[in-house]
Amino acid sequence: MTKLILNRRRFLGTAAATGAALASPAYLRRASAQSGGEVNIWTYNNFVPEAFKEQFEAETGIKVNVRLVDDQGKQFNLLAAEQPNPTVDIMTVAGHRFLQFIDSELLAPLDTDRLTNWNKINPTFSESDWSTINGNKWGAPILSGMEVLSYNSEIVSEEEALTWDTLFSEKYKGQTAYIIQDMMSIVMLMKGYDGNMVAYLDDPDKAAEIVEEAKQFLIEKKPLVRKYYDGGAEFQQMMVNQDIVLGHSWNGPAAALINDGFPLGMAIPREGSYGFVYTYNIANNAPNADNAYTFLDAILSSPEIGAAMTKASGFISTYKDASNYLTDLEKKSTSFPDEQLANLQFFRAEANEMKYGLVDPAVEAIKAA
Amino acid sequence: MAEETSDRTFWGRLASWGPYHAMMRLATASPRRQFVVLAAFPILWILTQHLGPMLQMLRVSLTDAYPVAPGVEQHFTLENYARFFGDSIFWMPFFRTLIFAGVFTFCTLIITYPVAYFLARHVSRKNQMLFLLLLLIPFWVGEIVRTYAIMILLGNTGAVNLALKTLGLIDRPIPFMYTSFSMGVGIVYLTALYMLLPLYSALEKLPKSMNEAAADLGAGAWTRFRRVSLPLTIEGISSGCTLVFLISTGFYATPVLLGGPSTTVFAETIAGFFHVAGDEWPTGAAFATIMFMAALIITTVFQKLMNALRKGEKK
Amino acid sequence: MNDRVELFRGNRIFLSCVYWAFVLYVFVPLILMVLMGFKDSKFIGFPIRSWTLEWYTGVFADAEVLSTFGYSVAIAVLSTLISVIVGTWIAVLLEGRKFTGRGVTFGLTVLPALVPGIISAIAFRIYARYLGIEPGMGAIVWAHAVHNVPFVVLVVMARLSTLPKSQIEAARDLGADPLIAFARITLPYLVPAILGASIFCLLLSFDDFVRSFFLGGYEPTLPVLIFAKLRSGMSPEINAIATVALILTAVIGVWAERFTRRMNKES
Repeated sequence: MTKLILNRRRFLGTAAATGAALASPAYLRRASAQSGGEVNIWTYNNFVPEAFKEQFEAETGIKVNVRLVDDQGKQFNLLAAEQPNPTVDIMTVAGHRFLQFIDSELLAPLDTDRLTNWNKINPTFSESDWSTINGNKWGAPILSGMEVLSYNSEIVSEEEALTWDTLFSEKYKGQTAYIIQDMMSIVMLMKGYDGNMVAYLDDPDKAAEIVEEAKQFLIEKKPLVRKYYDGGAEFQQMMVNQDIVLGHSWNGPAAALINDGFPLGMAIPREGSYGFVYTYNIANNAPNADNAYTFLDAILSSPEIGAAMTKASGFISTYKDASNYLTDLEKKSTSFPDEQLANLQFFRAEANEMKYGLVDPAVEAIKAA
Repeated sequence: MAEETSDRTFWGRLASWGPYHAMMRLATASPRRQFVVLAAFPILWILTQHLGPMLQMLRVSLTDAYPVAPGVEQHFTLENYARFFGDSIFWMPFFRTLIFAGVFTFCTLIITYPVAYFLARHVSRKNQMLFLLLLLIPFWVGEIVRTYAIMILLGNTGAVNLALKTLGLIDRPIPFMYTSFSMGVGIVYLTALYMLLPLYSALEKLPKSMNEAAADLGAGAWTRFRRVSLPLTIEGISSGCTLVFLISTGFYATPVLLGGPSTTVFAETIAGFFHVAGDEWPTGAAFATIMFMAALIITTVFQKLMNALRKGEKK
Repeated sequence: MNDRVELFRGNRIFLSCVYWAFVLYVFVPLILMVLMGFKDSKFIGFPIRSWTLEWYTGVFADAEVLSTFGYSVAIAVLSTLISVIVGTWIAVLLEGRKFTGRGVTFGLTVLPALVPGIISAIAFRIYARYLGIEPGMGAIVWAHAVHNVPFVVLVVMARLSTLPKSQIEAARDLGADPLIAFARITLPYLVPAILGASIFCLLLSFDDFVRSFFLGGYEPTLPVLIFAKLRSGMSPEINAIATVALILTAVIGVWAERFTRRMNKES
């Protein structure tokens, strides 16, 4: 147990130490000769490292106002209510939610030429298929997350966790949990279909059939599940309380449990899984657009900043070489074997309207069944 | 004599102050004018503050697109309402919510009535406020924190299971969580306060002598309660139940966190239209309107019933 | 005669058992919350293998938490003041008075209490924009005040219905105008109900997340901050924050109670 205390203390300690030591990029002082003003950001807890924020404010004179959010839908609703004169400059949108924001003209296209540090992002994320829409980039990738099968490693074996079937086995009846919306895509993958539904854009009947099949499967398996949950904190609590021993979860909440010493394992099962990327985006009609670009360029400047974000949030950094700045336990909780990573696909937004038009009512039906 | 004493008080001085006197005379010149003066502000407040936001919502519920994207034309439609009545998957959570709200309201009443009764009748007046405040303290803790505390109370490794195991009463934990039981524990916690206060204020003003008189006439405890306390507190029961029922239909976080796969409530369905798919505000607004109308009808009928009951008792 | 005494005593014992059982039910989660603030881990729950004071000391070192707490208290107090004044006025209008449209008025009065939180929040947000109210403290106070009015009305009406009419009439006979009769007879009679309703409103406001979130600016209220922190797990830190907030509010509450009592004595 002393080890655990040490870990957290060290974590708190290093967070402060990293702050002091964060290499301050020289260009920052040059380019922005104390331009002043402010920049308003909506983001999740721990997505703007405190040390970085202080340094940025000191060097540029730009005040950083952070408003904490906890949900993509709320950001959308809030921004929609504020347009056409938003109070926000930078939001944190998940890549696969782009289209919804773009269609409602809530985002401004990102001019990557204004970001000298754009190339510090791993191209896996910055040049991925979801990132370019209508010929434009819409956000700077910062952190990535993925759906995994998490399990209590004292009860469930590593082999069992290599297939999603275990989640629906009689053996673990009443000891499983999943987020039902997310599970729909995974069930489609399990059944050998494209869970993004991009392949069925021209064949809505086929799409409806697939969703129906996934829906029937989850209704049939309903007696086996303990809880349909929504938030990562719920998942963690169920694990700690041993109300469940395995479940579908995002890697972030699972990583936090691992880092706290909980006997948790996570796997990307062989049927596959989905990942997504959080990006910083500039709002359409942003009041301080220039400052927003200054901020984005600064936060992308060093892999150390990326590592600090990973440490605090449990999500995987999109920066090149960020893992050089992580401890072994942190690396363990934010990485997977290559053969498992090969199973990962990214969410895509092209078919979202059709997909969620079918999936949302299916989710209601499963809950009501 | 009366004038002399009242002249010395603040109110007396105010009453004989010229401008005030003139103003009051103007305001109370006729019963009609007096009513207008009394009613103007409340009516204005209700129309602008209570009705305003709701009318906006109603308007949204009758459109096919909101928020309106540029270049899209907004049309009026009844389709959002038709969607509820046309699809049976929405009925289950809807009726479940009404039934849950009714059951939880009843449970809360049963649980808190004796508590309020004890407070009002058996605790000395000096200590009443203290005892009442004692019960209110936990409600200062936010809904979310409290709900998680209930999770670590009822979970498989929770306090209750831990205690039962230590006492040797069970071998393996009882799965309390994510059932209608755990949901009830959480919801009664939330509603108790809303029931307790109206019940207490109704019971508190019951003259003690009344019960004693009834007892002198030879009435037993149950009869005394049924014939004396209950009828005289119907007012408090009625407003407490109305309050609790209304609030229960709108609970979101607690049922979602403590409920299981088969306890989905309608608030969750409604929230789904605002969370998952951002372009379904109109449907969400329509569903919220339906929920509101249903709750309103039920509570109106309930109030009418209670009123009739009270009148019946008085005769 | 002896039977009667026996009966009373039996009742009393039974009722006090129910009361203390209820106290237990209400307090156990609270005790767990306080306890978990001492757990040396990032998650709450049993078993607790090692203890720490860090989370509690951390709260006092965290300027953000403290200023958020003050902000929430200010919002709760301001909105409660508005709700109580408006709510009492409406209750006086509605209770025991027959006029055309009374039923409709009553229905509209309780309307804000009926609307599920998320809907109410969005409706307020749309309306605030329509009225040109900027998001921030003013907007939150306004939304909380409107939302809490129905609770004041219901509680005050229940009390008002039992006010003996003869008292008012007597005052009027002595020459008091309606306002003075209200201030001298009705208002003192309503004090317990108004106090109860105020506690109610303070609670509702202090606890509200969804309206505060939608109408708030860049400064979070306590529940909004807790929600944001919850994303990285229900930690002992959150339990410690909630506990400290509880103790601080209790201290402020006791002080306010003493203060008003002293004021009353002086007048």
